[in-house]
Amino acid sequence: MQTDELKKKYDELKMQLHPDVWQLMEQWSGLLKEYESDFFEFDVRGKKIKQDLVYRSLSGTRISKVYLPKYKDWGDILKWQLQENVPGEFPFTAGVFPLKREGEDPTRMFAGEGSPERTNRRFHYVSVGQPAKRLSTAFDSVTLYGEDPAPRPDIYGKVGNSGVSIATVDDAKKLYSGFDLCDAKTSVSMTINGPAPMLLAFFMNAAIDQQCEKYIIENGLSEAVNKAIESKWDIESLPKYTGEDGKKINPVKGNFDGHLPGGNNGLGLRLLGLSGRDVLPAEVYKKIKAHALATVRGTVQADILKEDQAQNTCIFSTEFALKLMGDVQEYFIKNKVQNFYSVSISGYHIAEAGANPITQLSFTLANGFTYVEYYLSRGMHIDDFAPNLSFFFSNGMDPEYSVIGRVARKIWAKAMKYKYKANERSQKLKYHIQTSGRSLHAQEIDFNDIRTTLQALYAIYDNCSSLHTNAYDEAITTPTEESVRRAMAIQLIINRELGTAKNENPNQGAFLIEELTDLVEAAVLAEFERLSERGGVLGAMERMYQRNKIQEESLYYETLKHTGEYPIIGVNTFLNKKGSPTILPSEVIRSTTAEKDNQIEAVTLFQQRHKDRAADMLQRLQQVAVSNGNLFEELMETVQYCTLGQITNALYNVGGKYRRNM
Amino acid sequence: MPFTNTKIRIVTAAALFDGHDAAINIMRRILQAKGAEIIHLGHNRSVHEIVECAIEEDANAIAITSYQGGHLEFFKYMKDLLDESGCGHIKIFGGGGGTILPAEIEELQQYGITRIYSPDDGRMMGLEGMIEDVINKAGQASPTLQGGILESAERMPFPLGEVYDIRLIARAITLAEQVENYSHLVDRLKANASKPLKSEIPRSTGGGASDAVAILGITGTGGAGKSSVTDEIVRRFLNSYSDKTIAVISVDPSKKKTGGALLGDRIRMNAISSSRAYMRSLATRQSDFALSKYVQDAIDICKAAGYDFIIVESAGVGQSDASILDYVDVSMYVMTPEYGAPSQLEKINMLDYADVICINKFDKAGALDALHDVRKQYKRNHELWEAKDDELPVVGTIAAQFNDAGINELFERLMETVAKKTGVNFNGEIEHHAHLKDTTDNSTIIPPRRVRYLSEIAETISGYNTWAEEQAAIATKLYQLGGVIKMLDEK
Repeated sequence: MQTDELKKKYDELKMQLHPDVWQLMEQWSGLLKEYESDFFEFDVRGKKIKQDLVYRSLSGTRISKVYLPKYKDWGDILKWQLQENVPGEFPFTAGVFPLKREGEDPTRMFAGEGSPERTNRRFHYVSVGQPAKRLSTAFDSVTLYGEDPAPRPDIYGKVGNSGVSIATVDDAKKLYSGFDLCDAKTSVSMTINGPAPMLLAFFMNAAIDQQCEKYIIENGLSEAVNKAIESKWDIESLPKYTGEDGKKINPVKGNFDGHLPGGNNGLGLRLLGLSGRDVLPAEVYKKIKAHALATVRGTVQADILKEDQAQNTCIFSTEFALKLMGDVQEYFIKNKVQNFYSVSISGYHIAEAGANPITQLSFTLANGFTYVEYYLSRGMHIDDFAPNLSFFFSNGMDPEYSVIGRVARKIWAKAMKYKYKANERSQKLKYHIQTSGRSLHAQEIDFNDIRTTLQALYAIYDNCSSLHTNAYDEAITTPTEESVRRAMAIQLIINRELGTAKNENPNQGAFLIEELTDLVEAAVLAEFERLSERGGVLGAMERMYQRNKIQEESLYYETLKHTGEYPIIGVNTFLNKKGSPTILPSEVIRSTTAEKDNQIEAVTLFQQRHKDRAADMLQRLQQVAVSNGNLFEELMETVQYCTLGQITNALYNVGGKYRRNM
Repeated sequence: MPFTNTKIRIVTAAALFDGHDAAINIMRRILQAKGAEIIHLGHNRSVHEIVECAIEEDANAIAITSYQGGHLEFFKYMKDLLDESGCGHIKIFGGGGGTILPAEIEELQQYGITRIYSPDDGRMMGLEGMIEDVINKAGQASPTLQGGILESAERMPFPLGEVYDIRLIARAITLAEQVENYSHLVDRLKANASKPLKSEIPRSTGGGASDAVAILGITGTGGAGKSSVTDEIVRRFLNSYSDKTIAVISVDPSKKKTGGALLGDRIRMNAISSSRAYMRSLATRQSDFALSKYVQDAIDICKAAGYDFIIVESAGVGQSDASILDYVDVSMYVMTPEYGAPSQLEKINMLDYADVICINKFDKAGALDALHDVRKQYKRNHELWEAKDDELPVVGTIAAQFNDAGINELFERLMETVAKKTGVNFNGEIEHHAHLKDTTDNSTIIPPRRVRYLSEIAETISGYNTWAEEQAAIATKLYQLGGVIKMLDEK
């Protein structure tokens, strides 16, 4: 009698549960079992993957990669499933994949100095013996602002400093020569924003021409192609490659005479100065191009919103810059460029400019949603572009950094699923994270590695998709081989030696982490409301809201650092006997005069070689802009005849220069 | 020392291809607080732009931060260009944290750069100490005002390929501000102006000073985008009339407390680096005024130099200010759709007097209502009850948008009004056509109906979180009930 009433009540209550929720609850015991096994099987884009789920310590203890809560109360279990869940399941708080990828350390190889040849040597040097070639490229400031190297002193001094000088498609071919850009194990990241569409077009053309070279060799066409080239071009007029010994060689015939760096097989250089379409039948070229675009893997930063908010490498009016980004994304969809991130939505520079972690996260996610809204307004489908978006965060010492990835993932997933009705792939936020450059100090620089280690631990515990650890001497100079090796060791030691890092969800179930996750999520939503009150991200930018907020937070940190309320060991407290003075670098790596002159000569020769076509191509490009066509599609053609500076200046006339503000 | 006649004027900027502007922003604030007049150019500025600015503004000094390398070439080139321009008296200060090595600081100072500050200087002198050092040294720079410049003008050609001698113009305006005699400089300018312009710029209308000059006054509320609108007008003027010259006199308020001023209009001006354009920023040097006492002098000097078109931009002060009308032939009022209730419009004096009214930031919500309200007010003020709406000189614009159709219309209207009111006709007839439709249709990145997207996302997520709590609470009850039922069943 009594029981019947209770059962009735039970059924009534059950009716109030969402059917999906009931299903989740029913699946729980199965899920627990699944994770008790020694192996785990899951799908990645239609491919079955089977991975170990267990690690045994020296003592024989069985460490599972994923632990589930031992809750009994269904409410606790359900809440955990709805807000946390296992890695790889909505809302992806603990990670977007069930398990971390095996056999690939998320280590990137950074380079960017002097000429493309020098940076290429460096890339080959740092990637020797690494199965995966993950190349990160830093460009010099001339390139970052879309100009060509030139003898004018205020330009000249910056050519090839703090980054590589790239002004033409030929420079890009040299830069990545010897790396197969369409290999699944190669991925390239380019830190470029204002002129990103042009650099991306350089890169894509380099990748396509590499595949043309491979086709030529594989089909035994080398002889025929060489003859064709000799009959059509004066070989001496084609661009040169400068070897390490300073000797200039002519690589078109594939004769490198041992001038290439170790590991570089010359792929990408045989068509230097030419395009695959100059030597291959149109149909063949078209096919190769389509295949190259569909397979090439990498990331271009291209995040113009954070440039205006924090980093200042804007060159075009914000509106035009956004249009260019939209054109790139549209081109990616049309040409099925699916393994390349069209933007890396970056909080790193916002944090470096002084923002606290909550502001970093809120502004960055808000910027991400702004791109989403803009692309939607252009008629693109959410699931066509969302997988091309990636994120980039900074990791410092503050407590909120321990949850930055998990909060980002859950906010993105919820918004994508419920606000934008996006599919599961689009719900997965992937991010690269770098330890904070701002937290490195020029005093007691040995201590910097300790900070980096702790920040790396935060990041790895938080299941980042990819991580870069800074070298301890970056606060004072360009890192040396020794310091870079130590930085890399930090990641490797955590990943391979640290026992608790064998587990992939160590943060789940920690009271502190759960509390911080809720607090940071709420704080981000509150910031969204403040931005919204100001007309969204763009409206707030117009009032310089983001910029001012970042500055205020920077000043707050500096003040506390100055007064010592915010302790920094070896900087404002625990000073050594000498008072922990600022360390000066013994020498600074700068580009050589020969490198600068070579780059200027190369760009001049490029312009001379194409002087008949350049004006036409620039006019065509401007026409596409005026008629609101896809500028990136046209840029893929323009870059074969025009230099970066020529293109930038032509676009100023149709898109407007960036207008500074204060 | 507020409101003295002599002011230290300093140009601040970050070097070319260098976006690191945090340090220079802090420095310029302290410089201003110490009573200097700051012409801030922001980041990524070439040596040519900076030197041209320093000469046109008759600055005592230039202060630059450089963090991206290439500083040796950058600073030396700046010194060279100043010397070549006969303006070696302008001092150069710099800093770049640890990126400029001690030996390089030595080398630059040997070369004639006044001072490069190192991080250790910062620690020893403190920020304030460094700034005081800059101000003291910049003050010493002040050359003998009368002799120096005229002497260089005799010896050296017009600097930087400019069509007039910008050194003399700049110095004459400075003398005016110091209430000193500048007639000898004007004589010299007039003599230069009667000569033909440089050969590559033929004069179509015979030229000569001051016989065919038009003066446009631009005023409006702070934050309405006056400088951006001005820049867009300058750009169109230079593009439309390849043989004409233009001068911009821009006024910003001095701070009552410190006497310093932030002359911030120049940072937004992209078109001004043309050799046919001159710009001078004036501080009001008195409080609660929209204009400097020396605006008339500045206008006269620019006229004497031979500029064809002169724009005076006032500091945005209050709704009742219409002082600019005393100086100009044609006036324009710049506002935004965000003025509050329509009754606010009744208080704006310039709606009675302005020849043209520009409603900028026309992509803002309520833009069409604003256009309607302002037109109605304009009709009322001018008793134009019968006038057609699109004949009224009220134009919606988005200066932030490249080649904005609204600004095109505005420019045409202005040139038309100039011709009508002054008889100055720069280059044949100007027609205007209404572009209103184009302006509103093509302008938005985020469509107005989607502008609340971040709120919507926040609501979606909060909604999900609340729902998750509710479902979990039900699940807990089910768990408890289930437990009780089980216990009873077992009994």
